[in-house]
Amino acid sequence: MHTPMVETTTGRSSPMTLTGYQRRAAWHLKLLLAPSVLLLGTFVIYPAFYSIYLSLTNEALSGPAALNPRFVGTRNYVRLFSDGGFWNSLLVTFWFVLGSAIIGQFILGLVSAVLLRRPLRFRPLINAIILMPNAVPEVVAGFMWVGMLAGGEHATLNKIVAWFGIPSQNWLVTFPLTMIIIVNTWRGIAFAMILLTSGISSISHELYEAARMDGATPRQIFFRLTLPLLMPTIFLYMLVSTVTTIALFGLVYALTRGGPGGATEIIGIYIFNQSFTAFQLGFGSAVAVVMLAISVVIGIGYVRLLKVQV
Amino acid sequence: MPNGSAKNSASVKSADAAAYGVLAVISLYCAIPFLWVFIASVDSEPSQFLAWPKEWSLQNYINIFARQDGFLWIANSLIIVGSATLIVMVLGGLGGYALSRSHGWWRRPFLYTIILIRVVPPTALIVPLYKVLLTANSVVGGIVRAVMPPDLVRPTMHIFGFIDGYLGIILVLAATQLPLALWIMKTFFDTIPRDYEEAAVMDGATLMQTIRRVLIPLALPGLGAAGLFAFIIAWGDFLMPLIFLSSAELQTLPLGLFRAYMRVNQLDYGFMTALAVIYTLPAVIAFGFARRFLVQTFGGGVKG
Repeated sequence: MHTPMVETTTGRSSPMTLTGYQRRAAWHLKLLLAPSVLLLGTFVIYPAFYSIYLSLTNEALSGPAALNPRFVGTRNYVRLFSDGGFWNSLLVTFWFVLGSAIIGQFILGLVSAVLLRRPLRFRPLINAIILMPNAVPEVVAGFMWVGMLAGGEHATLNKIVAWFGIPSQNWLVTFPLTMIIIVNTWRGIAFAMILLTSGISSISHELYEAARMDGATPRQIFFRLTLPLLMPTIFLYMLVSTVTTIALFGLVYALTRGGPGGATEIIGIYIFNQSFTAFQLGFGSAVAVVMLAISVVIGIGYVRLLKVQV
Repeated sequence: MPNGSAKNSASVKSADAAAYGVLAVISLYCAIPFLWVFIASVDSEPSQFLAWPKEWSLQNYINIFARQDGFLWIANSLIIVGSATLIVMVLGGLGGYALSRSHGWWRRPFLYTIILIRVVPPTALIVPLYKVLLTANSVVGGIVRAVMPPDLVRPTMHIFGFIDGYLGIILVLAATQLPLALWIMKTFFDTIPRDYEEAAVMDGATLMQTIRRVLIPLALPGLGAAGLFAFIIAWGDFLMPLIFLSSAELQTLPLGLFRAYMRVNQLDYGFMTALAVIYTLPAVIAFGFARRFLVQTFGGGVKG
């Protein structure tokens, strides 16, 4: 009945039956998508908006507020911005993202990607070894490194540093933030390497040939050719790894549970502790909304950068 | 030019040696934690530290099944992650097809929403999600108590409950993995020409027949990739089981391992390392298969 102009003017031989068929097909397609919409709506979209409402209440898991939650307006946010624990967690998250995703994983991933372009004999083996930490479940990674970084002179890292004359220590207590950065770097080298390898291999071979003909040294080729042409991939990597590192929870929780004294309390752990240890769901939601906002802003940057065709 | 090429090959050799040196350090960094876990798991006197065993033994692995509920934990993990993966593959396949083929106004906003959902941190959703599941759980609980005899209420809630039940955690894990699967399947169907389906429709096939006979066989590689990613991420996930599961009967591998090493005063390193190896193995195997799809999941590559 409400056939759009475009469809009636396509000049097909039997527009009536075709639009009837098309309308039925479009309806079928919506039906196919319906279960996905229902699932995402219930468990992702609705909770995301619900968290904004919750952040404006004094909802709690126990105590009087649990039975009778009240609307408290922006009180949680006022408290949030004067809360030392919140600023601490933002700062810890910032150093964690900078140290592990932006610097550690990126540099080691780039070095591995460049060096593994050489036709080395053990290339497949080295490749597999670098990929392993990325495949291991978060809790196993945490468990492994609790062992590596333990105190006492028999502990693995202490034995290694003893060769360099460094005294034994309980690493997760003396350098907690540095240690979670080292562990997350370990976990993410592979991701940076894979993404950067694909970026490097899309650079034309002729450019390299031409550079070599002109007598460029490997150093010059890297800094004047590879790196500039790799910039879009590097930027994509920075965005994706920043978002995933901000979202991290299990790896750090399994290592330190945010301790000692909040030194490794990244924002995900702060939300968890406020909500499920201190039982303040309203306050935890306010932190979650801030985190959500940061991630969505980066996500919009990601969409724009990729110029995603949909 | 013999002199020049000799000099050249010498410089290639020294450059290769330097490359090996750097790569060896990176490889050791990556490998040492694995060496400890693996060696300790087959050591008859395992410790927290990397050491060569005096005596090799498989006793640690046997203990997981003989002295602990190893089978139960593995079964729980497989049931939960397997069901979530299956749901993701079915819904991702159907939905991805719909997104690829439709022209409605809602298509573009929907796809942007999917991409934005992928950047939403799960930790930002746990509080509202907990409230949603709590409500769903009390609804299911009311129904179950009304229709089931009292002694069967608890076991039934372990299956259909939303908090501390299979159904809740399966649906949550499926929902968190679905956006990536929808995206993978949408881009995959974009590469399949419509001629195949149109030919089937011309031959009088219904939509369901077309999906079953034509589209599923064509879509298998895409479904495989979508399923692998859903499996790997859900298998490694620790946050959701930590919040939504508590009963011993529903213990999964990540919870079992985490609770074992939180028992500060009675750590059994043989037990924990063997459990870690068992838990890691499926993830590493799946990752090996998924590796070649990894780059494509970030928006079809970047043009420099």
